[in-house]
Amino acid sequence: MSFLAPLFLLGTLAVAAPVVFHLLRRSTREQTVFSSLMFLRPTPPRFTRRRRFEHVALLILRCLVLILVAAGFARPFFPQAPSSAPAAASASRLAVLLDASASMRRGPLWTSACAQAMATLRGASPGDQAAVFVFDRQVRPLLSFAEWESLPAGDRLGAARARLEAASPGWSDTRLGDALAAVAEAVADSPDTNAFRQRRIILLTDRQQGSRLEALAAFDWPSGIELTLPPLPIPSTANASLEWVADARADSTDPAAPSPVRLRIRNEPGSGREAFQVGWQGDNPGAWLGEPVEVRVPAGQSRTVFLGPPPPPGAHRVALRGDEEPFDNTLFVLSPEPVERRVLYLGREAASDSRRPRYFLERALQETARHKAILRALGPEADAAAVSGEADAAALIVVADPLPAERARALRQRISGGQTVVVLLQETAAGATLAALLGRERIDLEEVPCAPFVLWSEIDFEHPLFAPFADPRFSDFTRIHFWKYRRLDERAVPGARVIARYDGGDPAWIEAAVGQGRLLVLTSGWHPSDSQLALSSKFVPMLYSLLDLAAGGGNEPLQFQVGDALPMPQSARPGSETWSVRTPSGRVQPWPAGAAQWAETGEPGIYEIASGPIRRRLAVNLAPAESRTTAIPAGEIERLGPPAPAAAKAAGSVVRQVAAEAAEVEGRQKVWRWLLAAALATVVFESWWAGRAVRRSLVEGS
Amino acid sequence: MSHPGSAPTRAAGAGFIEPRVLMRIRNLELRARVAVEGFWSGLHRSPYHGFSVEFTEYRPYAAGDDPRYLDWRVLGRSDRYFIKKFEDETNLRCHLLVDLSRSMSFGTAGYTKLEYAATLAATLAFLLQPQGDAVGLVTFDEQVRDVVPARHRPGHLRRLLIALEQAAGGRATNLAAPLRRIVELVRKRGLIVLISDLLAPREPLERSLTPLAASGHEVIVFQVLDPAEQNLGLSQPAMFRDLESGQVQFIDPAAARAEYQRRLEAHGSAIRALCQRLGIGLHRLGTERPLETALFDFLRERQQRGKLPRHAAGRARHPGPAIASTV
Repeated sequence: MSFLAPLFLLGTLAVAAPVVFHLLRRSTREQTVFSSLMFLRPTPPRFTRRRRFEHVALLILRCLVLILVAAGFARPFFPQAPSSAPAAASASRLAVLLDASASMRRGPLWTSACAQAMATLRGASPGDQAAVFVFDRQVRPLLSFAEWESLPAGDRLGAARARLEAASPGWSDTRLGDALAAVAEAVADSPDTNAFRQRRIILLTDRQQGSRLEALAAFDWPSGIELTLPPLPIPSTANASLEWVADARADSTDPAAPSPVRLRIRNEPGSGREAFQVGWQGDNPGAWLGEPVEVRVPAGQSRTVFLGPPPPPGAHRVALRGDEEPFDNTLFVLSPEPVERRVLYLGREAASDSRRPRYFLERALQETARHKAILRALGPEADAAAVSGEADAAALIVVADPLPAERARALRQRISGGQTVVVLLQETAAGATLAALLGRERIDLEEVPCAPFVLWSEIDFEHPLFAPFADPRFSDFTRIHFWKYRRLDERAVPGARVIARYDGGDPAWIEAAVGQGRLLVLTSGWHPSDSQLALSSKFVPMLYSLLDLAAGGGNEPLQFQVGDALPMPQSARPGSETWSVRTPSGRVQPWPAGAAQWAETGEPGIYEIASGPIRRRLAVNLAPAESRTTAIPAGEIERLGPPAPAAAKAAGSVVRQVAAEAAEVEGRQKVWRWLLAAALATVVFESWWAGRAVRRSLVEGS
Repeated sequence: MSHPGSAPTRAAGAGFIEPRVLMRIRNLELRARVAVEGFWSGLHRSPYHGFSVEFTEYRPYAAGDDPRYLDWRVLGRSDRYFIKKFEDETNLRCHLLVDLSRSMSFGTAGYTKLEYAATLAATLAFLLQPQGDAVGLVTFDEQVRDVVPARHRPGHLRRLLIALEQAAGGRATNLAAPLRRIVELVRKRGLIVLISDLLAPREPLERSLTPLAASGHEVIVFQVLDPAEQNLGLSQPAMFRDLESGQVQFIDPAAARAEYQRRLEAHGSAIRALCQRLGIGLHRLGTERPLETALFDFLRERQQRGKLPRHAAGRARHPGPAIASTV
């Protein structure tokens, strides 16, 4: 039998107390009255002669209680034979986890981390298993356990060094909690749980405050895995950072209004600097465009500043000067700019005819902060070259009257090439033109007079055309009356998507894909003889939705962080278009087929997504949390779960392993419970026995 | 007049009644009568035959004496002028002082010291009353409990006996306050018999007895002690509780006996020296001793006092002969 806490056995020395008490010839319970004690002095307790114990049975019981309690506290257990082979149990399983986030670009952090990693790997014995991981937002293995095992022992260090030299810190933010959890699982995930005497993670990180440790709080740290944090030369330099807050111009509809950019400048605690400069810069870093703004931010605080007016077009780089860490001093800002959108109107009516659609279209397409719409109207008499030239430049083509067959065929080719065309069915004769555009032989339309009116229903607010009205505050179309429309049998247009219907069930808006482009059909007109649509408040937003749909863009986010996935533009038609992404470094990468997102934003800068004439630019910046470079104490990481790093591993590890195994065996056997139960039973029996002895003595005394 | 339920037997050696037997008589009066009768019957062998407690005194007439007190019979018979003293003046006024402190309730012989002391007091009263002496009683513990003035009238003995049958009380033996009170109460000089265990420090005892002796009274002290108190005759070690103070101590009698006896003897010696200096007769009485011996001690003491002229007796208190303890 062995004991987990043998020092408690010293408690058995307490049996001396009952032995002494039983040797004392002192009957404290018996009292004798005496007239006066003035001539008496207390007699010191006197030992009886040897072997003259009083109440030997009680003495034995009391000693037994003390011995049982002391033995119980000493946590006895019956040792078991070791289950694993001793040779295998001497091996370790090590994982080196390097922080490759943007903050590791500071000073000598990365080279020190690599040196520490190599030193750790050199200390591994041939029987050990080791792996090297890097992490920022995600964990990537540089050298997995399997590769380590597969390599000859002499090549392992060389392979690890080569992988480390090839790696470098990226621009992503740090998610240390996720990384630790993933690597801990990888370290714990071995076929034989008893094969390693030690499992350890060597974490090489700058422990910056923005490391996102919260994932550790919910993670059940596997037992037996220790975490070591070798010290790195963390620079204590002044660092300030830039963060884009919001673009004040986004809400402005006045293109002439000043359009400042709102920025937050944060100065890290402990920073020795307070004065900074913020301003626009061009592609040549270091040269200000215009005058920079002087900002004073005390250490540990942040300030919001407005930067503006905007520099010359094309400038999208905001820089900060005045701190000592340049890695987070550049911010890429893209503001929505008024984009010229050309609209080609194919109709024969005069511009001043207030009863016709053109009149309302011209007046609705005014210049805004984001759009600069230019309407060009051509009648049937216009020659094909002019139409073709205008159509090339147009983002949207509106067909208001029936077209000649040849012109309709040409337009169909344009749609197939990716253009967006809207057809207004103002008369039943437009059926031939529609059939030509859709590649059908014939489509019949039927004039439907409505008495007194019909309304739109079943509007698909998920379609980009109606998406701006999806909010319940704007989704009320019941005040727009339609006096007449042309019935189009949707079965005549296979694959078409009905975006809105009249309350009688006939289609009002239909979208049909033609080649790479799309054809939108409104089975009525927006002019007053057909409906109240042009006079309603919904008309102008709907037109701009059409423009956004045709040209791409809209109210989609422009600012992203490194590591974020870039979304496909809303106007794109997945599967029908070929998209590519131009990264800030100039590389052009194809958009994966069928993917809704592109997730390879590995560097900050301006990314351009392009498909045909559609260009969309997105700004990708460093995550603001990555700029919070103040180091958190190592104890903060330990508090969230990983056991404290052990200082002296080599000497004490075997002892600890044995102790841990002993504790596990003792925890299973729980012999102490039986001992304490026996002690309690003995106490009860002793009480009964003592009570009986007292009663007997009283009877004898009386 | 023996108790029908108890057959008082004579002590083999002296022919006295064993106190153990005497104390079986529950009635105090009966007990006292039995003791006195035993004493009278044993008196025939007494060397003090014919002695009276007090006798009438004659003295020669002196100029200025009241002629009413002339003994005319003596004048007629012998033609000499003698003055006969009044009976009031000549009869003994005896006050019995009985200690009722808690220590007196101790006893190992089957009865307590208090029972023994009360029997002794009652016996003395029965002894003195038939001679026409006035007997009074004062009981006390740390203060005076009961006072029965010295009288000689019918029924007075019963009052005394009732007062004597009180149980022990109080906490400590404090003679100072009761004796001071007695000095105040008893103006006329007389006999004072103090019955106590005297288990009190020597200094308070001295402060108590000195004024009593100085007031001109004739004082006899009976120190009543249980046999267990004299030799610590308890066998088992135990927690000893003081009857008066309640103090508890662990005492092993075998270990403490020698020291106890030495200190008790020292205390007794100190009291004897004190009494000798004050002219007080001291008799230590073990409760195992027959009461008659106490009566003999009493009468012998009286006889020795009676041999001395009154004025000489007062002078002889200090340089007088040593009064040996009968114990």
